[in-house]
Amino acid sequence: MLTIGKDKVENYILVSLEGQVDASNSVELDESIKEVIDEGNKYILVDASALDYISSAGLGVFMSYLDDFEEQSIQFIIFGLSEKVSNVFHILGLDQLITIKTTKEEALQVIHES
Amino acid sequence: MLKFPNINIGKIILLVTILTWLGLLFVDLLRLFGTVNRMQLGIANEITWTLEIIFFILVYLFCNRSIERSENSDFIHFIWRAASTGLIVIAAAIVIRLFYLVLDDTRLSTDPLLANFFYHINFGLTTIFLISCGLIWKKLILYQKSKTSVQQWQIFEVMLLVSMFFVYFNQNTFTFTFLFGLVFLLLFGVIISVNLKWIPYLTFKDKWKSILFFTIILITTSFLFMQALSYQSAYDEINLMDNLFLMGLFGFVFVYSLFSFLVTLFNLPTSSVFEQKLTEAINFQKLSQSIQPGQSETQVLDILLDSCMSASYADAAWLELSNGSSEEVQILHQRFITNKDRKDIRELMVKTKPFSDFMHTNGLIKSEYISGPTEHDLYKSVLIVPIKVNRDLIGYTILLKEVKNGFNKEMLNIINTFVGQASISVENHRLLNEAIKNERYKEELKIAQRVQSSLLPSVLHHNEDFDIVGFSEAADEVGGDYYETYQFNEHRFGLIIGDVSGKGTSAAFNMAQMKGIFNSLVQLDLSPKEFLSQANSALSRCLAKNHFITTTYYLIDTEARTIQFSRAGHCPTLYFDSHSGQADFVKLEGLGLAILRNKKFPQYLHEKTIHYHPADVLLMYTDGIVEAKNLENEEYGYDRLKEVLNKHHLLTAPQIKEKVIESMHEFLGGASLPDDDFSLMVLKFTPEH
Repeated sequence: MLTIGKDKVENYILVSLEGQVDASNSVELDESIKEVIDEGNKYILVDASALDYISSAGLGVFMSYLDDFEEQSIQFIIFGLSEKVSNVFHILGLDQLITIKTTKEEALQVIHES
Repeated sequence: MLKFPNINIGKIILLVTILTWLGLLFVDLLRLFGTVNRMQLGIANEITWTLEIIFFILVYLFCNRSIERSENSDFIHFIWRAASTGLIVIAAAIVIRLFYLVLDDTRLSTDPLLANFFYHINFGLTTIFLISCGLIWKKLILYQKSKTSVQQWQIFEVMLLVSMFFVYFNQNTFTFTFLFGLVFLLLFGVIISVNLKWIPYLTFKDKWKSILFFTIILITTSFLFMQALSYQSAYDEINLMDNLFLMGLFGFVFVYSLFSFLVTLFNLPTSSVFEQKLTEAINFQKLSQSIQPGQSETQVLDILLDSCMSASYADAAWLELSNGSSEEVQILHQRFITNKDRKDIRELMVKTKPFSDFMHTNGLIKSEYISGPTEHDLYKSVLIVPIKVNRDLIGYTILLKEVKNGFNKEMLNIINTFVGQASISVENHRLLNEAIKNERYKEELKIAQRVQSSLLPSVLHHNEDFDIVGFSEAADEVGGDYYETYQFNEHRFGLIIGDVSGKGTSAAFNMAQMKGIFNSLVQLDLSPKEFLSQANSALSRCLAKNHFITTTYYLIDTEARTIQFSRAGHCPTLYFDSHSGQADFVKLEGLGLAILRNKKFPQYLHEKTIHYHPADVLLMYTDGIVEAKNLENEEYGYDRLKEVLNKHHLLTAPQIKEKVIESMHEFLGGASLPDDDFSLMVLKFTPEH
């Protein structure tokens, strides 16, 4: 089960993920991210504090937009990862390519600084 | 052994019957001769009667046999048999009369012996006619057997048998007992004559035929009866006809023929309705059975259109299939209507209400059909029934009649039933096809499974300094895990373990690509970091955008006692160090292959070298193991894996492998299977002795 919420706040958009991302629903995640990019958002914050699990298919979704983020100079920040999920990002090395912060405040800080 | 010659019982019965008849004739002639010449020959009446009874029984046996053996069980065939027998008997009687006419007033015409001879011929033929009729009526009465009707018939047969012997009792005189017996037989004959259930099954044409045949039978019966009575008065001495059996049979044959005649006659006007219902029932059956393997939907719809037309007496019809959402329709079957008329009517439909509304609510049809008048020159009324399969509209059946208000409620009901049944048939057909297709896919997957299992090595390269085993299990038929080894020389080896993102078929294809890349790059004898960089650039070109592969590549040198490796996003290697006596995950930064598809990739890679000791264990695995979840949604995790190795490091490589799998299955609790592919490779360096 995966619930994706979207909340447009001031100058950024907050995407919140709840539940699990696996092969069966990674398409939903993909569509949501594609949508927020197409909307022209330059600051995308992903609240993953309620994300229990992410499979390789889910990681593939984030990975596939890395180029888009760079080309369109989009700030993409994930925050609130549980230790377990964070470890998955770390093992794959994806934390080196995506900005990952512990709290929302830290994430907002990044936006303000830029 | 004694061999019986092949005896034809029918022929024997026939022969015996004729002999009996000749015997009867001879005896009676003798008796008459005696009477005429006033001589007392001492021949008792009982001999005549006995011969007569034997004759009756033989005729019964013969007729019964010949009717039972007849292959044609058609009613009309039976009735014709009775009628034709009647015609022959009448013809014989007429020939005899003509013969007497020719004789005119010669002495021979008054000769009692000759008259007696012809009397016997008439008697024999009458008996044959009556008994064969009686047996045919039996067939008709017992067409739809019930316990009561069979019992009634058996009682009647016994009564007839008894009546044969009545002659001994009343000495062949007309008494009240005779009359009583006759009335009794007749009443019973009337009771069993109400069994006329075969009549509705006759077609209209057959009914006319049977009316004609029954007329012949009735005339024959009446004629023979009159003839029997007239003989009786002329020759008192020899009286064969005035027999309770024959008289009773006369009555029964006549009554049943009369009933059948009248009922058939009155059934004529309604017979077309019965025929129609029967056709409908057969059509319905055809529709429900029409989907056999090899038959197509078109054939079902063909039967449907014919059935609907015959049920509603439609003058013309067509069946069109709608192709999805487009306005374009495909005309599948067309009956008795020109293309021009069809197009005209179709245009009229689209223009006029309520048809236009009906046909425009694509897929959202509430009512099951629509019928009404049209303004077409030829066709005055139209009925449109949509055909729905699995709630989707697939087309329309359009029926046309040249009369106004041509479709009544009964027709609509039956047509709706037909359409419903056809829809079910089509749906079943589609489901069947799908099932066949799925079965084929399963077969294909099995092949894929075989191919893939051959991609994983069955034997891994090693030398006496270490032992190595591998294991892999896919969650689906095929998986995306991969491991392999390579031997550069006596003491140098290359090892790889990898996990393709996702699972199932797409993962399996990518895994095959990875194997190809490994086998080409490994020969270049590159450093682990260089190897993975090259692999990344190769995979970047061939993997889909959202796919990646995690892998770790190891170089083992048993001479230098080193393990040199680099990790590309794969699960950290678990290493048991026999010096410290502790298993631990080796920390090393890295990045999965094909995640970063540019030249920056190598900067995320790192290399590490381990100097191993004898009895050290290297455990390589994929995330399917650590992420395996039990029923409580708890992951197997890294700690459990480490624990197993700590506990069993003294065992051999295959044993350690078994322990890991065992521990995992134990954790999963048997019932659930891992929902991801999982693999592991255990390498154990040979301990010092």
